Amino acid sequence: MINNRRKIRVLLAQFPLENHSKGIITVAGMLRDAGMEVVLIGNELPERIIDTAIQEDVDVIGISTYCGGELALSIDLMEAAEEKEIKEHTVFLLGGIFPPKNAEKLEEIGFSGLFPPSATQEEIVSCIEEAVAEIRQKALLVIR
Amino acid sequence: MSNEKTTKDIIREKLAKRERTPLYNQEALGKLRESFSAWKNTVVGEKDRKKWEITPHTILGSETPRELLYTPLNTPDLDGQEDLGFSGGEPYTRGIHPNMYRGRTFTMRQLFGAGSPEQCNKRMKTLLEHGATGTNWTLDLATIQMFDSDEPEAKGQVATVGVPIDCVEDMAVICKDIPIDQVSASIVTHYPRNTAIIFPMYLVMAERRGIPWDSLAGSCQNDFVMESLVRSGLEYIPPADDFRIQCDNTEFIRKNVPRWNHVTLNGYNLREWGTSGITEMAVALANAIEMLNEMSRRGHNTDWVAERIAFFWSIANDFFEEVARLRAVRRLWYKIMKYRFDAREPRAMWMRCHVQTSGVSLTREEPMNNVIRAAYQALAGVLGGVQSVHVDSYDEAYSIPSEEASILSLRTQQIIEAETQITQVVDPLGGSFYVEALTNDIESRILDEVDEIERMGGIIEVVNSGWLRNKVARTIDREQKMITDGEIRIVGRNYYRVPDLKMPEIMVHEYDENVARQMRDKLAHLRQKRDNEKASNCLNALKEACKQGDNVMQYTVECARADVTEGEMRQAFVEAFGAWKPPTL
Repeated sequence: MINNRRKIRVLLAQFPLENHSKGIITVAGMLRDAGMEVVLIGNELPERIIDTAIQEDVDVIGISTYCGGELALSIDLMEAAEEKEIKEHTVFLLGGIFPPKNAEKLEEIGFSGLFPPSATQEEIVSCIEEAVAEIRQKALLVIR
Repeated sequence: MSNEKTTKDIIREKLAKRERTPLYNQEALGKLRESFSAWKNTVVGEKDRKKWEITPHTILGSETPRELLYTPLNTPDLDGQEDLGFSGGEPYTRGIHPNMYRGRTFTMRQLFGAGSPEQCNKRMKTLLEHGATGTNWTLDLATIQMFDSDEPEAKGQVATVGVPIDCVEDMAVICKDIPIDQVSASIVTHYPRNTAIIFPMYLVMAERRGIPWDSLAGSCQNDFVMESLVRSGLEYIPPADDFRIQCDNTEFIRKNVPRWNHVTLNGYNLREWGTSGITEMAVALANAIEMLNEMSRRGHNTDWVAERIAFFWSIANDFFEEVARLRAVRRLWYKIMKYRFDAREPRAMWMRCHVQTSGVSLTREEPMNNVIRAAYQALAGVLGGVQSVHVDSYDEAYSIPSEEASILSLRTQQIIEAETQITQVVDPLGGSFYVEALTNDIESRILDEVDEIERMGGIIEVVNSGWLRNKVARTIDREQKMITDGEIRIVGRNYYRVPDLKMPEIMVHEYDENVARQMRDKLAHLRQKRDNEKASNCLNALKEACKQGDNVMQYTVECARADVTEGEMRQAFVEAFGAWKPPTL
């Protein structure tokens, strides 16, 4: 029942200079297909991504990256999320091309899912559903 | 548009007036038709007869149906002269040079870049030592998007997927000790704005080395479809203004750097983003047509412009389709130039192209399989008669190529050239019933899509309105579903996938903050030592030129001479033209 409280809302964005958008368009289609609401904003600075996430009241922020530098920019993203107090109740995902050895560090700073090329719709959708359900469950417990 | 004739109308009309001499006589074809039908109904099994036509589903494929067997009946009116001719002669189906690779082999132009300008210079020398015959440099993300290395937006992205260039000084480091009057350079500037900014830095670098501009050979991209549509970015200028910059660049380069290809219409990135091999070519041709119209309005001879237009195509997995596409677009370009623009100069009718094997058809799983994919793709390109090749490296889904991987790609080309012997005979697949039928089919489908674009108001309009963007998004969606369903089979990913897939150890290019710091320091120093008043005057003159309609490149050359940086010029363009927001999906 918790899952059905409202549709899952996802913000999809790229860091400021990323010029590849095939991945993000593909994932937007997959998530819409799975019944989620997708806000596709394209390129933005990390702080602006967080501001938009607040305005749009999303459950999930997905970042698409292909050209490196994802770690430095993700650290900025997480700092902004913490500062604006949304980090605890937002699910963060990252997809695209990144060095495999950065995976551990990216998870450590707050990403719940990392999706290299060839990730399937099933993998991405179930990761989001589980992570969102967990957060909503926690929120419910706090309210009670 | 409604009353004007489209390119297709014009070509049709003029071709109808030409006399055709079919190779096959009607009586022989009639007999063949009878025996074919008897064979098909008796010898061919029922299952095959029912599924006589199959539509292949592949990544980036055109879904052109294929029959089980091809015969002369597929091209009953094939004309040896009108449709095929001979290499080096009209209609250039068989190749633009009489001797093709016997005369000069395809240029092995491996893309490279990454690291500092110093590292890029070193890598360039390594590739040349290993026999590369041209250079092909990619710019880092900040440079591609026209930001200086010290702007806040550039954080984390300096020297990542290419080399950073902020000013003429960086250009000088990249080209140090390279004989730029002997080795041709392909500078992957992508966008008109970027071409207007970066190419003048190359020219001013040559000037400072005392090398005359007319000895420089090479190409830049300069394609507004790349900037306004294919690119994802923070800011855009209106497509019509961007198209004007494309034409300004062409005008300036054609006049002042005569051996330079002023525009490389880039089908590659559009196709790899998400479109078929047909649309890839139709969009590039529609852009070329619009550009030649504009040049004609500006009073230039269209032959003079077209002589230096180059194309850049992607080569994917459907082997024969790729060969046929290259033959088809070569013939179609000839027809466009000959009948639409009344070309006289053979060079203006040559579809000269660089190809790159398809990056998106490579997999992250079992990356060594990519070596095989890329080799087949390169083979198709060479059989298709291209001028220049880049072979993607097997580590594409992990990183930009390691040195080892990029040398393997170069070796792939050298093996095709020196060992397979396919370069000895010109257009070896010409005359194949199958390849000729496919070539015809694909040519008419490309022309139909050019026609569709023209009827909607032309290339600028379909970019501006979002029509083309939506078309791409639909293709991406559809293709993804076919991969998920297994309708498109990808070995190692969704077909013969091993259960516990282990990721291999792959050396990836690492982000090096030191290079970014170096670049920032260099810029700080530059801004201190240059004549800032002169720099600012040059920028104001550029803005004025944008507004007044003067050719922008003569002003960006002045900016480069005054050591104005890339980001400063980008801002001048945005201030002059205003920002544009692409239609949302």
